[in-house]
Amino acid sequence: MKRWHIRDIILVTILAIFMGVIFWVIGPLYTVLAAALAPFGLSPLANELLLGIWVMAGPLAGFIIRIPGAATLGELLGAVVEMFLGGIWGASTLISGVVQGFGSELGFIFTGYKRYTWSTLVLTALTTTIVTFTWDLFRSGYAAYHVPFLLLLFAVRFASVFVFGGVLTKLINNLLVRAHVLPNATH
Amino acid sequence: MNPSLKLALTVFIALEVSFAQVWTVNVALIVVSLILMLINHVSFKRLLYLTLVPLFFSSTLVWSLSLRGSASPHFLLVIFTRLFVYVYMGGLFTQTTDPLMLTRSLEQNAKLPAKFAYGFLAAFNLMPKIKAEVATIKAAAMMRGQILHFWSPQLYFKVILAAMNWSDQLAAAMTSHGFVEGAPRTHALTIPLVARDWWFFGGALLLVQVGLFSGLR
Repeated sequence: MKRWHIRDIILVTILAIFMGVIFWVIGPLYTVLAAALAPFGLSPLANELLLGIWVMAGPLAGFIIRIPGAATLGELLGAVVEMFLGGIWGASTLISGVVQGFGSELGFIFTGYKRYTWSTLVLTALTTTIVTFTWDLFRSGYAAYHVPFLLLLFAVRFASVFVFGGVLTKLINNLLVRAHVLPNATH
Repeated sequence: MNPSLKLALTVFIALEVSFAQVWTVNVALIVVSLILMLINHVSFKRLLYLTLVPLFFSSTLVWSLSLRGSASPHFLLVIFTRLFVYVYMGGLFTQTTDPLMLTRSLEQNAKLPAKFAYGFLAAFNLMPKIKAEVATIKAAAMMRGQILHFWSPQLYFKVILAAMNWSDQLAAAMTSHGFVEGAPRTHALTIPLVARDWWFFGGALLLVQVGLFSGLR
């Protein structure tokens, strides 16, 4: 199995910084969306809709770097960047970063860091959704919601994670494979 | 306080608060963080920002929990104050910690391998270049009549190519300056980790535990 070298560490950090900048840029979008949905008691939906973008660093790093721990480290560093850029959630961002990264990592663990196909991405999206949702049951008090609303939140979250962490990641990956810049990738 | 210990303390308390349901401890943490931020001369504007944003999110969360769920008033109070704990403790941490010192401390005190510490630092110093690169890519695409959004694969593709180039070059530059992975290093600047740091760390943790247990009973 491949080990971490200085080049990979710098690469995953640069990727994380780029994603951190994006997380930070869509912050206002999240606020506006949450405000628009708030009167109907639907503000958690804003979180669910955009969550896919926040968790993208994980699968993207996992697909590009292909070393155990890449997804977790990519997502954690993205959170660090967001925190120091002036994101306000502080230590909670770091914990979420680890939780989200580990959620994506599970998908790669289950496929043994060998297969990088659609099925891996679907699996990753599923593990990410389940792990982060469990975390929110406690942290954001989701456990107190009525079951139908909870199911809606879960479905929207999975859709978002699938679109951004799955479809978009795969499209980016396809471009990279076509450009022959992923040394250990197969078509 | 030693940056690594401060980070550990902040993360550990945030983790505990996420599971515990004791609003008095939350309020105590908020007050302590606020006092420490005031002592450390955090600007009034920043404090106002750190108050208004969680106020908005806490309110919407509590509103939807009471509208769409079956939460007790006690639980709503816990959730409401919890978000403030995250934001105030996070604010205290980022406003009083220098990222460079944190990385050095993680390397020296927390035994993070040097390749990670210096790899992170090398990449973080590229931050302005990374922002500029994103702007350049967007501008270049616009000249050809393409608009790149945050959902455009092309945008990510181009940035990843740049990131790969830069990481190759930076790694080569570090090697040529004598950086060897896993080799023993000396430090021009040592980050102290003294008994007082440990006492403060242990004392703060103990206080939170006592608060949580007496609150749960």
